[in-house]
Amino acid sequence: MLSYIGRRLLFLPLVLFGVTLFIFIAMSFLSPYQLVSSYIKSPDELKNQSLDDLVKKYRLDDPAHIKYFRWLGNILHGNLGYSRSANMHVMDAIKARFPATLELTIFAIIPVVLGGIWLGSISAIHHNSPVDHATRVFAIIGWSLPSFVFGIVLLMYFYGVLGWFPPGRLSTWADMIVLSEGFIRYTGMNTVDAIMNREWAVFWDAIRHLIAPTISLSYLWWAFILRITRSSMLDVLNKDYVRTARAKGLPENIVIKRHVRRNAMIPVATVAGFMVLGMLGGLTITETVFDYKGLGLLTATAAQQLDYTCVLGTTMFYGVILVVSNLVVDILYALIDPRVRLD
Amino acid sequence: MKKLIRNPLSLFGFALLIFFIIIALLAPVIAPTPERHKHEPYRIPRYGWQTTPTPPSKEHPFGLTQGQYDIFYGVVWGTRTAFFVGLVVVGSSCVIGVVVGAASAYIGGRTDEIIMRIVDVFLSFPFLIAAVVITCVLGKGLDKIMIAMVCFWWMNYARLLRGNILQVKEEEFVLAARAAGVSHIKIIIRHILPNTIFPVLISASMDLGSVVVTAAGLSFLGLGAPEGYADWGQMISFSRNWLLGAPGEPLKYWYTVIYPGAAIVLFVLAWNLIGDALRDILDPKIQA
Repeated sequence: MLSYIGRRLLFLPLVLFGVTLFIFIAMSFLSPYQLVSSYIKSPDELKNQSLDDLVKKYRLDDPAHIKYFRWLGNILHGNLGYSRSANMHVMDAIKARFPATLELTIFAIIPVVLGGIWLGSISAIHHNSPVDHATRVFAIIGWSLPSFVFGIVLLMYFYGVLGWFPPGRLSTWADMIVLSEGFIRYTGMNTVDAIMNREWAVFWDAIRHLIAPTISLSYLWWAFILRITRSSMLDVLNKDYVRTARAKGLPENIVIKRHVRRNAMIPVATVAGFMVLGMLGGLTITETVFDYKGLGLLTATAAQQLDYTCVLGTTMFYGVILVVSNLVVDILYALIDPRVRLD
Repeated sequence: MKKLIRNPLSLFGFALLIFFIIIALLAPVIAPTPERHKHEPYRIPRYGWQTTPTPPSKEHPFGLTQGQYDIFYGVVWGTRTAFFVGLVVVGSSCVIGVVVGAASAYIGGRTDEIIMRIVDVFLSFPFLIAAVVITCVLGKGLDKIMIAMVCFWWMNYARLLRGNILQVKEEEFVLAARAAGVSHIKIIIRHILPNTIFPVLISASMDLGSVVVTAAGLSFLGLGAPEGYADWGQMISFSRNWLLGAPGEPLKYWYTVIYPGAAIVLFVLAWNLIGDALRDILDPKIQA
């Protein structure tokens, strides 16, 4: 086990190298003139010099490998360039936006995973009964509802008609409190900061803004977890050792708990890992629908305005974070299932 | 096949799917292209220039969305776009994924490690972000969206298949085949793939819906075809501006989201219902 983890850790830099390579290759599709835009902060800088001068000045016409290492050096110093669409350095924009995305992910992950596993077990245990069919139909409909359709409908009703769950991250008044001097931003996550500052009204407001995106995310991903739990539990239910367990007279709930569910959790664990990754990426659309100012919305806005610097910068950031979490998922997978020791 | 039809859910899925296929095939009959742009049928005709949507009427049964684009026309021709995008992306990705996954797991050892690291790199990006990056540097457009999606869609098939093969690889029937001197290719095709490829095929069949949703999502973000192209995602992105309605009439512009939204939901639902039933039928382990 330790050697497996060690080997995976050794590969980490290689994978990170791959990530940078992908982004660099993506960048090489852009002309030097497109790239120079990331260095220009205001139109004034164009007054006394032509674009060619700027390309020369920032040495954007150098050969690829030299550019790559210079670019890598910049990244290691935390310099991801200047974003036109966000009007600030990409690194600053990420620092401001990432806590929001993280907050939404954390907030949504618990109902998604627990709800999904619960629904999936019910469905598998009552295989082919009306309960099974009802849960499956419920889940399939959720899986078929794209977040941008469901989200808009949710907003139309819960915001437009009832006025309960507004879009955005905070109401204006709550934003004023959060931005005021007395309010200390410990984490950048509104709910956590509100608790630490004992601003209960702000806390409630932040929750109110999180509910609609969480509903949207949960319903979408429930189906996913349910499917995997159900099918893997059904798989396991037909295994010989389950028959043996039943034959030797174990009570049904012990069979389910000890023999079935535990073995059935293997695929669920892998998939849940992928799901977090998928969620972080899928948040782009959810955040756009709900106007939730996180990293996803930052990337989406930047992409619409073809702000390459910002798109590539945030992707670099995502890449690093997700390579690390992918590693964690793999290690967890190996921990749960001893058969997966790659030798 | 018989069982697919006997199951009411998958039957409904099939009915929906056939319905969509008919719509796609008969699009020129159901929603004839106006004479003034006969040569580009995928452009939704406009009936005016003002921004505010117009409610459904006799001439325009689904109403006119922002910019007076005909919703009915867009929904009908958008079906063609959806099929095209879905089939191209899933087909290409599935082939790549199965080849890479089978090779990686069966060869094992260092090759497996290297291939899986490469897959890791691809997987380490959230799919949408990666697709956004590629679409962004290649330039906006539906073809760019499809290229971007194939680049980042095959890994899940590869990884899924590899995981399954790793579990099956050491089981007796494979060892027996190997001991009997069956060639490697034959072992993979005759003995390993039939026992491992189901989840891949199922997830591929289910994915046809997801691919269409994702492509529509990228269009929704504004990275797809130019404005006015018959594409469900784009039509839904229009409706985002109208979700509040007017004072006293909160649901005034419902038709801008419900019609294209229903089209995409039903389309995906059809695929998902079939994919779901298919799994139960194809998997002999569950039939017991």
